[in-house]
Amino acid sequence: MYNLNWFSQIGLQHYLLLSSALFICGMAGVLLRKNAIVILMSIELMLNAVNISFVAFSHYQSKLEGQIMVFFVMTIAAAEAAVGLAIMVSIFKRFREVNIRFFERLKG
Amino acid sequence: MISDAILFWILAFLSLSAGLTVVMIANPIYSALALVMTMVSVAGLFVTLGAYFLAGVQLIVYAGAVMVLFVMVLMLFDLKNEVYAFTQGLLTNVVKLGCLGLLAGLLAGTLVLSSYQSQEIQDKVVAAADQTKALGQLLFTQYLFGFEVLGILLLIVAIGAVALSRSRGGTHHV
Repeated sequence: MYNLNWFSQIGLQHYLLLSSALFICGMAGVLLRKNAIVILMSIELMLNAVNISFVAFSHYQSKLEGQIMVFFVMTIAAAEAAVGLAIMVSIFKRFREVNIRFFERLKG
Repeated sequence: MISDAILFWILAFLSLSAGLTVVMIANPIYSALALVMTMVSVAGLFVTLGAYFLAGVQLIVYAGAVMVLFVMVLMLFDLKNEVYAFTQGLLTNVVKLGCLGLLAGLLAGTLVLSSYQSQEIQDKVVAAADQTKALGQLLFTQYLFGFEVLGILLLIVAIGAVALSRSRGGTHHV
């Protein structure tokens, strides 16, 4: 029974499938949603999906480097959230709105 | 082995459904709460992969700090369509009480189980401590440069975030 084995024996493939599915969720959020905060959240979702694949490779190849990369990704994600939310606060002060349709024409 | 598979499928279902909820649901507050659920299940996936320290960091940094930041900024925005964000009713109250009961049962179960210290659990704790030590050594020797750069980046970001949110909204003068 090949099918049953696929469900009961978890390998690298399963984690990579889950990771790519989560990444696609996040990408759909970035592409489809109009609320800028939800777009930032979807970016966090994509970063988390990448973290899953890093840790999965690190586990199945018995190397710790993947986990170090996860540290770096987490730090970048926190920094990105801080800057993104600061920009959102600034935009909300100016436009009273966080829907990206209302400030798609920005001038420098 | 079969328990690992069951745990993986539960966590995969939780993270995928919560991730879909983040994208699908109209209310941003609900998306933030669903994102917290995703983070927690990703931390659980890290535990199934044996990355115990990263699971802790994931919970503290993402589910703790980053998501609190998101929710606080959402609260700041005073969006009009958030009026119905927090419903009241018999069903929701029952669900809330059920969650409280689950948490109480989980805590009681953990306390009871922690009194049985088996050799297997001891070995796992020692292995996790060894892995965390190796991770720290790698981070502070081979990847020291990246670590320092990240420290400087965080400093810049902290200053930049304060400066950005104090500004009056850029170049648009009406």
